[in-house]
Amino acid sequence: MTETIENVQTQANRNEALLSVRDLRVTFQRHGEKPFVAVDGVSFDVRPGETVGLVGESGCGKSVTSLAIMGLLPRRGVKVEGEVDFQGTDLLRQSDDQMRDRRGRDLGMIFQDPLSSLNPVVPIGVQVTEVLERHRGMSRKAATPVAREMLDKVGIPDPERRLKDYPHQLSGGMRQRALIAMALACQPRVLIADEPTTALDVTIQAQILALLKDLVEDTGTALVMITHDLGVVAGLCDRVNVLYGGKIVERGDRHPLFASPRHPYTVGLLGSIPRLDGTRGERLTPIPGSVSDNLPWDSACAFAPRCPNAIEVCREARPELLDDGGGRWLRCHNPVENPLEVTR
Amino acid sequence: MTVSETATTEPSTTGDDVLVDVRGVKVHFPIKKGVIFDKVVGYVYAVDGVDLQIRRGETYGLVGESGCGKSTLGRAILNLETPTEGSVVFDGEDIASLSGERLRRKRKDIQMVFQDPMGSLDPRQSVESLLIEGMKAHGLAKDERSAAKRLRELLSAVGLPAAALKKYPHEFSGGQRQRIGIARALSVDPKLIVADEPVSALDVSVQAQVINLLEDLQEEFGLTYLVVAHDLAVVRHISDRIGVMYLGALVEEAEADDLYAQPLHPYTRALMSAVPVPDPLVEDRRERILLKGDLPSPANPPKGCRFHTRCPWRQETRCDTERPQLRVVEVAGAPESHRVACHWAEQIESGEIQAHEVTATLTEQTASGGEDDFVGPASVTEAL
Ligand SMILES: Nc1ncnc2c1ncn2[C@@H]1O[C@H](COP(=O)(O)OP(=O)(O)O)[C@@H](O)[C@H]1O
Ligand SMILES: Nc1ncnc2c1ncn2[C@@H]1O[C@H](COP(=O)(O)OP(=O)(O)O)[C@@H](O)[C@H]1O
Ligand code: SF4
Ligand code: SF4
Ligand SMILES: [Mg+2]
Ligand SMILES: [Mg+2]
Repeated sequence: MTETIENVQTQANRNEALLSVRDLRVTFQRHGEKPFVAVDGVSFDVRPGETVGLVGESGCGKSVTSLAIMGLLPRRGVKVEGEVDFQGTDLLRQSDDQMRDRRGRDLGMIFQDPLSSLNPVVPIGVQVTEVLERHRGMSRKAATPVAREMLDKVGIPDPERRLKDYPHQLSGGMRQRALIAMALACQPRVLIADEPTTALDVTIQAQILALLKDLVEDTGTALVMITHDLGVVAGLCDRVNVLYGGKIVERGDRHPLFASPRHPYTVGLLGSIPRLDGTRGERLTPIPGSVSDNLPWDSACAFAPRCPNAIEVCREARPELLDDGGGRWLRCHNPVENPLEVTR
Repeated sequence: MTVSETATTEPSTTGDDVLVDVRGVKVHFPIKKGVIFDKVVGYVYAVDGVDLQIRRGETYGLVGESGCGKSTLGRAILNLETPTEGSVVFDGEDIASLSGERLRRKRKDIQMVFQDPMGSLDPRQSVESLLIEGMKAHGLAKDERSAAKRLRELLSAVGLPAAALKKYPHEFSGGQRQRIGIARALSVDPKLIVADEPVSALDVSVQAQVINLLEDLQEEFGLTYLVVAHDLAVVRHISDRIGVMYLGALVEEAEADDLYAQPLHPYTRALMSAVPVPDPLVEDRRERILLKGDLPSPANPPKGCRFHTRCPWRQETRCDTERPQLRVVEVAGAPESHRVACHWAEQIESGEIQAHEVTATLTEQTASGGEDDFVGPASVTEAL
């Protein structure tokens, strides 16, 4: 089923959007197993120079969404439906070769674990120059100074020497910088960062986030920031999509969303986080249960068994993602009216 | 090679209220090379001179970045790691001096809760057998009826249904497994629970459940906690007092509220400024102290102040040569319980010394000093 209302509403923005994900659905079909829908009708837009957040807990479909956009899911055992419009081309209908060409040139990606995304037996410098050769048609000779400049730009000290280093010789933070340098070497229009700082210490995370922020500002690259950390989202993203069980359940601009979250899951997440600046001794308000309690989205709200706001209809009909009239999109039969009253 | 710098031991009265007294503890791991003869070529100075006291009934939080020695210190307190130097006195007895039956009994008093409940629970044992093991060993399950009663009480204390007894660890979610791990720690009626990253493997919604549970149990059973974690927001939430570690040593120690209100060590300032807060209004206004360069290797820690390679307030004198000790500082509003290991804490707080640019230095990654514990999904070199 398509989310008709949203489709109509966003037609107007669609021309401005650089990347339009429409009704993306990813189903894993392992031999002999029940098909599993990991991403279930996800739609969102990304405009130039904008940072869009996808946030949610582990298993909600963030990585699968990004891999689907990048064309990195295996063809076998996986069904990808919907549309990923990039400047008039549906990326889901491109061949593997066409996608390989686009990755690096139009679309860049950074992963949580930089070590596994870098080739361990090739020096960093060669890896960056290869990207430049392949996607920008540079000669090795022309690419080398550009590679050095990229390493310098992402804050790697002594870049001339580091070009000769192998990935394992760099710390986690420096490796992530090297990966960002590679992803940005071709000036992609869209950069997808999937938990880029999750494996890093918090002081290093702060460095990397500051770097990403500067790069987006300087280059106008659109950033899709995938994270489980609402704190990271609060500081970085213009717009936020909250995912639960493979579906977007709430979407809003950064400030209003955090000031008045309306989806019970978003409210629950915020109540679960101990804040560094919170009042000590105040009790957290966890979300009861776990995702294993979820109902199927077909005929219910998946979150209903854990939801303090659940009413009868929640177990009988699937809520659709709708605009609440004020630019907030909600998938909920009984959203939180005044969030201050509900954060018990 | 040995360390010439010795940690001074702060004179402090070991009153009755102190449950754990850690004095000058060092844990150095030898780095060995060679095929036939293991030759010691150096040491990882994982813990390098720590003094701290944990009082009865309190929660002491130990915070710091990966590799700073938090877990090793926790293990030393549990007597799972023999200190290279120094002593750990638990409940009035030096645990290194204990052996046989007395050590066994003391072990019961200190229990551990781990980050990864799956890794610490034997997958072939049912929950019942996991829980009853320790009770039997320590004579807490005298007959079947009292054992069954105690099991029921334990499960209800950690919020698991009685039906859980017959199940195996893999049949539970991560949060429920952590509850089992906590129940097992509680089963022998301990005095101290050392919880090493107890919630960092859990999703935030489940994290909050476990944090609340730990708080409730402390109240119910009068437990003392040592919570070791890298997440300062979590540590601040649950701890009464906090020790901040950097490269094997405490750099600051204070009541949780004092630490947050007035962080005085440059590293604590940077750490605190880096923790994201889920509030855009706060995030937009924040001034971050961005540290440059890598964390030095604990196998080759910087001389003098260990933080000097990254410290924005580093001075020409003392910082590079003289190792600062934890001391009470003369700063308005800082109580005696607030101790800082920085030569210039007062001048930095008053603004007399200002932050300056730092030249980033890299740390050559080796097998022993590096961060090689990445966990991550994708591996897609081809993506680029
Ligand atoms: N290759 C795969 N085969 C089967 N299921 C998968 C596969 N990859 C991911 N999944 C499932 O899809 C769901 C979403 O996963 P993912 O997108 O990785 O979550 P996250 O939000 O943590 O990034 C999870 O339930 C996961 O188990
Ligand atoms: N058994 C061991 N042998 C050698 N080095 C170790 C051992 N255990 C820990 N280390 C090293 O000691 C340092 C401190 O480790 P750890 O206490 O685990 O830090 P933390 O818990 O703060 O992340 C790290 O550099 C680690 O690699
Ligand atoms: S639809 Fe119902 S169960 Fe789902 S989040 Fe809204 S109120 Fe809760
Ligand atoms: S002693 Fe010097 S280098 Fe160390 S924290 Fe203080 S100012 Fe910085
Ligand atoms: Mg993921
Ligand atoms: Mg540890």
